[in-house]
Amino acid sequence: MHWLYLAIAVAFEIAVAIAAGKAEGFKNRKWTAITLISGALATFFLSKSLLTFDVGVGYALWTSVAGVGITVLGALFFGQRLNWNKAIGIVLVIGGVVGLQLSGSA
Amino acid sequence: MSNEAKTSKNAWLSLLLAGVFEIGYALAVGGSEGFTVLTWSLVAVVFFLLTLYALSLALRTIEVSIGYAVWAGIGAVGAAVLGPVFFDETLTLAKGIWLSVIIVGVIWLKLADRTKPEAVAPAPAPQQVTDRPGALQV
Repeated sequence: MHWLYLAIAVAFEIAVAIAAGKAEGFKNRKWTAITLISGALATFFLSKSLLTFDVGVGYALWTSVAGVGITVLGALFFGQRLNWNKAIGIVLVIGGVVGLQLSGSA
Repeated sequence: MSNEAKTSKNAWLSLLLAGVFEIGYALAVGGSEGFTVLTWSLVAVVFFLLTLYALSLALRTIEVSIGYAVWAGIGAVGAAVLGPVFFDETLTLAKGIWLSVIIVGVIWLKLADRTKPEAVAPAPAPQQVTDRPGALQV
Protein backbone atom coordinates (compact mmCIF):
# COMPACT_ATOMS: atom_id res chain seq x y z
CA MET A 1 0.00 0.00 0.00
CA HIS A 2 2.84 2.42 0.79
CA TRP A 3 4.11 2.16 -2.79
CA LEU A 4 0.65 3.08 -4.08
CA TYR A 5 0.47 6.08 -1.74
CA LEU A 6 3.93 7.09 -2.90
CA ALA A 7 2.90 6.82 -6.56
CA ILE A 8 -0.12 9.05 -5.95
CA ALA A 9 2.06 11.54 -4.07
CA VAL A 10 4.49 11.55 -7.00
CA ALA A 11 1.67 12.21 -9.48
CA PHE A 12 0.49 15.23 -7.49
CA GLU A 13 4.05 16.48 -7.10
CA ILE A 14 4.42 16.41 -10.88
CA ALA A 15 1.16 18.39 -11.05
CA VAL A 16 2.72 20.91 -8.63
CA ALA A 17 5.70 21.39 -10.94
CA ILE A 18 3.50 21.93 -13.99
CA ALA A 19 1.05 24.24 -12.17
CA ALA A 20 3.83 26.26 -10.52
CA GLY A 21 5.34 26.79 -13.95
CA LYS A 22 2.06 28.27 -15.17
CA ALA A 23 1.45 30.34 -12.03
CA GLU A 24 3.86 33.06 -13.23
CA GLY A 25 5.55 33.65 -9.91
CA PHE A 26 2.23 33.03 -8.18
CA LYS A 27 0.60 36.03 -9.84
CA ASN A 28 -1.89 33.86 -11.70
CA ARG A 29 -4.53 32.98 -9.10
CA LYS A 30 -6.03 29.94 -10.78
CA TRP A 31 -2.71 28.19 -11.27
CA THR A 32 -1.51 29.28 -7.85
CA ALA A 33 -4.59 27.61 -6.35
CA ILE A 34 -3.96 24.45 -8.38
CA THR A 35 -0.34 24.48 -7.22
CA LEU A 36 -1.33 24.72 -3.56
CA ILE A 37 -4.07 22.10 -3.78
CA SER A 38 -1.82 19.66 -5.63
CA GLY A 39 0.90 20.35 -3.07
CA ALA A 40 -1.49 19.63 -0.22
CA LEU A 41 -2.62 16.36 -1.80
CA ALA A 42 0.96 15.35 -2.59
CA THR A 43 1.90 16.05 1.00
CA PHE A 44 -1.04 14.06 2.34
CA PHE A 45 -0.24 10.96 0.31
CA LEU A 46 3.49 11.31 1.03
CA SER A 47 2.59 11.31 4.68
CA LYS A 48 0.52 8.13 4.26
CA SER A 49 3.46 6.44 2.55
CA LEU A 50 5.82 7.56 5.34
CA LEU A 51 3.79 5.50 7.78
CA THR A 52 5.79 2.62 6.28
CA PHE A 53 8.82 4.17 4.55
CA ASP A 54 11.60 5.80 6.54
CA VAL A 55 11.32 9.57 6.16
CA GLY A 56 14.64 9.86 4.34
CA VAL A 57 13.85 6.98 2.01
CA GLY A 58 10.26 7.97 1.21
CA TYR A 59 11.15 11.61 0.73
CA ALA A 60 14.08 10.83 -1.59
CA LEU A 61 11.95 8.39 -3.61
CA TRP A 62 9.15 10.94 -3.87
CA THR A 63 11.19 13.91 -4.99
CA SER A 64 13.46 11.95 -7.34
CA VAL A 65 10.78 9.90 -9.09
CA ALA A 66 8.73 13.09 -9.48
CA GLY A 67 11.83 14.70 -11.01
CA VAL A 68 12.12 11.85 -13.52
CA GLY A 69 8.41 12.16 -14.28
CA ILE A 70 8.70 15.91 -14.88
CA THR A 71 11.63 15.38 -17.23
CA VAL A 72 9.94 12.59 -19.17
CA LEU A 73 6.60 14.44 -19.44
CA GLY A 74 8.48 17.59 -20.43
CA ALA A 75 10.03 15.66 -23.30
CA LEU A 76 6.79 13.96 -24.31
CA PHE A 77 4.33 16.84 -24.07
CA PHE A 78 6.09 20.15 -23.47
CA GLY A 79 8.58 20.14 -26.28
CA GLN A 80 11.66 19.80 -24.11
CA ARG A 81 14.42 17.63 -25.42
CA LEU A 82 15.92 14.67 -23.66
CA ASN A 83 19.69 14.78 -23.77
CA TRP A 84 22.47 12.57 -22.46
CA ASN A 85 22.74 14.53 -19.26
CA LYS A 86 19.08 14.06 -18.45
CA ALA A 87 19.31 10.39 -19.39
CA ILE A 88 22.19 9.92 -16.95
CA GLY A 89 20.14 11.55 -14.18
CA ILE A 90 17.16 9.32 -14.95
CA VAL A 91 19.34 6.18 -14.96
CA LEU A 92 20.92 7.17 -11.64
CA VAL A 93 17.54 7.71 -10.00
CA ILE A 94 16.02 4.49 -11.35
CA GLY A 95 19.18 2.54 -10.51
CA GLY A 96 19.12 3.95 -6.99
CA VAL A 97 15.45 3.12 -6.49
CA VAL A 98 15.94 -0.45 -7.74
CA GLY A 99 19.08 -0.87 -5.63
CA LEU A 100 17.30 0.43 -2.57
CA GLN A 101 14.46 -1.98 -3.13
CA LEU A 102 16.69 -5.00 -3.89
CA SER A 103 18.86 -4.36 -0.85
CA GLY A 104 15.72 -4.46 1.25
CA SER A 105 16.16 -0.88 2.43
CA ALA A 106 12.93 0.55 1.06
CA MET B 1 29.05 45.51 -1.78
CA SER B 2 27.29 46.35 -5.02
CA ASN B 3 23.55 46.00 -5.23
CA GLU B 4 23.92 43.07 -7.60
CA ALA B 5 26.19 41.20 -5.24
CA LYS B 6 23.85 41.91 -2.36
CA THR B 7 20.85 40.63 -4.31
CA SER B 8 22.76 37.48 -5.18
CA LYS B 9 23.85 36.91 -1.60
CA ASN B 10 20.30 37.33 -0.33
CA ALA B 11 19.01 34.98 -3.00
CA TRP B 12 21.45 32.27 -1.96
CA LEU B 13 20.55 32.80 1.68
CA SER B 14 16.89 32.39 0.74
CA LEU B 15 17.76 29.22 -1.15
CA LEU B 16 19.65 27.71 1.79
CA LEU B 17 16.75 28.64 4.08
CA ALA B 18 14.32 27.06 1.63
CA GLY B 19 16.41 23.87 1.81
CA VAL B 20 16.33 23.92 5.61
CA PHE B 21 12.55 24.52 5.57
CA GLU B 22 12.22 21.60 3.17
CA ILE B 23 14.01 19.33 5.65
CA GLY B 24 11.59 20.54 8.33
CA TYR B 25 8.70 19.86 5.96
CA ALA B 26 9.87 16.29 5.25
CA LEU B 27 10.38 15.49 8.92
CA ALA B 28 7.07 17.04 9.95
CA VAL B 29 5.18 15.18 7.21
CA GLY B 30 6.72 11.97 8.53
CA GLY B 31 5.95 12.89 12.12
CA SER B 32 2.33 13.72 11.29
CA GLU B 33 1.71 9.97 10.75
CA GLY B 34 -0.70 10.42 7.88
CA PHE B 35 -1.88 13.77 9.30
CA THR B 36 -3.31 12.17 12.40
CA VAL B 37 -0.98 14.04 14.78
CA LEU B 38 -2.18 17.64 14.96
CA THR B 39 1.03 19.38 16.08
CA TRP B 40 3.25 17.80 13.42
CA SER B 41 0.55 18.38 10.81
CA LEU B 42 0.44 22.10 11.56
CA VAL B 43 4.24 22.27 11.58
CA ALA B 44 4.23 20.54 8.17
CA VAL B 45 1.82 23.10 6.72
CA VAL B 46 3.92 26.00 8.05
CA PHE B 47 7.13 24.53 6.62
CA PHE B 48 5.38 23.86 3.31
CA LEU B 49 4.44 27.54 2.98
CA LEU B 50 7.86 28.71 4.21
CA THR B 51 9.80 26.52 1.80
CA LEU B 52 7.58 27.60 -1.11
CA TYR B 53 7.98 31.28 -0.23
CA ALA B 54 11.74 31.16 0.33
CA LEU B 55 12.26 29.14 -2.85
CA SER B 56 10.21 31.54 -4.95
CA LEU B 57 12.22 34.48 -3.56
CA ALA B 58 15.50 32.73 -4.36
CA LEU B 59 14.42 31.81 -7.89
CA ARG B 60 13.86 35.44 -8.78
CA THR B 61 17.62 35.74 -8.94
CA ILE B 62 19.09 32.25 -9.10
CA GLU B 63 18.64 30.17 -12.22
CA VAL B 64 15.71 27.80 -11.73
CA SER B 65 17.57 24.56 -12.48
CA ILE B 66 20.42 25.39 -10.12
CA GLY B 67 17.96 26.52 -7.47
CA TYR B 68 15.93 23.32 -7.67
CA ALA B 69 19.07 21.16 -7.60
CA VAL B 70 20.42 22.79 -4.45
CA TRP B 71 17.02 22.86 -2.76
CA ALA B 72 16.16 19.24 -3.55
CA GLY B 73 19.65 18.12 -2.56
CA ILE B 74 19.55 19.82 0.83
CA GLY B 75 16.05 18.50 1.51
CA ALA B 76 16.83 14.90 0.59
CA VAL B 77 20.18 14.69 2.39
CA GLY B 78 18.74 16.42 5.44
CA ALA B 79 15.74 14.09 5.62
CA ALA B 80 17.95 11.01 5.27
CA VAL B 81 20.41 12.13 7.93
CA LEU B 82 17.94 13.62 10.41
CA GLY B 83 15.21 10.98 10.04
CA PRO B 84 17.06 8.58 12.35
CA VAL B 85 17.61 11.43 14.84
CA PHE B 86 13.92 12.20 15.22
CA PHE B 87 12.30 8.85 14.53
CA ASP B 88 12.85 5.19 15.21
CA GLU B 89 14.84 4.68 11.99
CA THR B 90 18.32 3.51 11.10
CA LEU B 91 20.52 4.65 8.25
CA THR B 92 22.37 1.48 7.22
CA LEU B 93 25.34 1.50 4.85
CA ALA B 94 23.34 -0.05 2.01
CA LYS B 95 20.52 2.43 2.52
CA GLY B 96 23.00 5.31 2.63
CA ILE B 97 24.71 4.23 -0.57
CA TRP B 98 21.51 3.77 -2.59
CA LEU B 99 20.04 6.98 -1.22
CA SER B 100 23.21 8.78 -2.30
CA VAL B 101 22.83 7.39 -5.82
CA ILE B 102 19.21 8.60 -5.93
CA ILE B 103 20.06 12.03 -4.54
CA VAL B 104 23.00 12.49 -6.94
CA GLY B 105 20.61 11.43 -9.71
CA VAL B 106 17.97 14.00 -8.83
CA ILE B 107 20.55 16.80 -8.45
CA TRP B 108 22.07 15.77 -11.80
CA LEU B 109 18.64 15.76 -13.40
CA LYS B 110 17.77 19.24 -12.16
CA LEU B 111 21.13 20.60 -13.32
CA ALA B 112 20.74 18.90 -16.70
CA ASP B 113 17.73 21.12 -17.26
CA ARG B 114 20.12 24.03 -17.76
CA THR B 115 21.03 22.93 -21.25
CA LYS B 116 17.87 24.53 -22.57
CA PRO B 117 16.75 23.16 -25.90
CA GLU B 118 17.41 25.82 -28.52
CA ALA B 119 13.96 25.28 -29.97
CA VAL B 120 12.05 26.26 -26.84
CA ALA B 121 13.79 29.35 -25.57
CA PRO B 122 16.15 31.72 -27.29
CA ALA B 123 19.66 31.46 -25.92
CA PRO B 124 19.93 33.63 -22.81
CA ALA B 125 21.44 36.97 -23.57
CA PRO B 126 24.98 37.27 -22.25
CA GLN B 127 23.78 40.14 -20.12
CA GLN B 128 21.58 37.77 -18.17
CA VAL B 129 24.61 35.93 -16.90
CA THR B 130 26.45 39.03 -15.77
CA ASP B 131 23.28 40.08 -14.00
CA ARG B 132 23.78 37.19 -11.66
CA PRO B 133 27.27 37.24 -10.26
CA GLY B 134 26.51 34.19 -8.14
CA ALA B 135 25.41 32.03 -11.03
CA LEU B 136 27.79 29.48 -12.43
CA GLN B 137 28.63 30.05 -16.04
CA VAL B 138 28.58 27.36 -18.67
